[in-house]
Amino acid sequence: MNPSGASVSLIGHVALLAIISFGGVPGVLPDLRDFVVSANGWLTDREFANCFAIVQAIPGPNMILMMSLIGWKVGGLPVAIASALVTFGPPCALSYTAFHFWDRFRDAAWQQRVRRGLAPVTIGLVIAGGAVMARTGDSGWPSLAITTAAIGLMLMTRINPLWLVAAGGALGGLGVL
Amino acid sequence: MSSALNEAQVRPPTTLGALFLVFLKVSMYGFGGPIVWVRRIIIEERHWLSDREFADLLSFCQFMPGPNVVSITVCIGAKFRGPAGALAALAGFILVPWTVGFSLGVLFLSYAHTPLLQGILRGVAAAAAGLLIATGIRLLLPHRHRPIALAFAMLAFAGLAGARLPLLIVVLALVPLSIALARPDQVPAR
Repeated sequence: MNPSGASVSLIGHVALLAIISFGGVPGVLPDLRDFVVSANGWLTDREFANCFAIVQAIPGPNMILMMSLIGWKVGGLPVAIASALVTFGPPCALSYTAFHFWDRFRDAAWQQRVRRGLAPVTIGLVIAGGAVMARTGDSGWPSLAITTAAIGLMLMTRINPLWLVAAGGALGGLGVL
Repeated sequence: MSSALNEAQVRPPTTLGALFLVFLKVSMYGFGGPIVWVRRIIIEERHWLSDREFADLLSFCQFMPGPNVVSITVCIGAKFRGPAGALAALAGFILVPWTVGFSLGVLFLSYAHTPLLQGILRGVAAAAAGLLIATGIRLLLPHRHRPIALAFAMLAFAGLAGARLPLLIVVLALVPLSIALARPDQVPAR
């Protein structure tokens, strides 16, 4: 496949994944990995893992940045920008439209019931996301200790979470992990 | 522990500029997934929404495609200031943070193989995971007197993090049941 063919094909795939990613973008990462690493060989497995780790370690819209970094690897800046746009554009338009409908019926009994049913599942998924992320590093008990300490401090103190992130990075940089 | 914010203390934002700036801040702080920061900044600092309203919005947005937090941004903007609010919040969330984050990301990518950066990335990822888990626990607190809700949160957690089932399967299996077993609010559970 020629380079521009690769770019178009990547953007198309990212757009498709974004619009079917009900429940959020992290759920499509396995599929994305298969597409860019196994099927097309645009990135190595290591590079894909690095992209994921980097977007966790920098601020900003993580998953949009992840798509952009993959786009950058495949076709440079234009593809990076296009990947970002297709990741958030169509889903945004859909959310906006659906939200109007949702908000209009916010006092309806059916919606209260739907909300009460959805909320706990959603919250379970958020916690699971954290747990899966905690294990991606796969670097043993020091990592786990940092995660546990961050949970405890976040719940029991009013410390600014940025300090926890910085402390984690510093310990990692010192080679503790 | 900070107490859950209740409806009486809520003070919605009034200007498009405030929406732009707050979502810029949420995005620039976004370690551990911006949900951590949406909750911290919009609820704890600004009191724009109650914890309950936020949990409701979050569950709606979880079932929209695309990055959840972008959908939260659009919905909060739209809730307070209509289409202009949605655009202001989205612009704040994306424009500057994407440019900064992308530049840093490209720079990091070229040093990703060095042991120092690998170590830092691991440490940051471990702490960020903790923030995300703690945010989930905070969101669960208002539901702590509803055993059925706790059970469904546990099942969702176990399905995704324990059994590593595909997200779609977990959602399709649990959501209809959870809705069927939920009762509409008679007394707001606090």
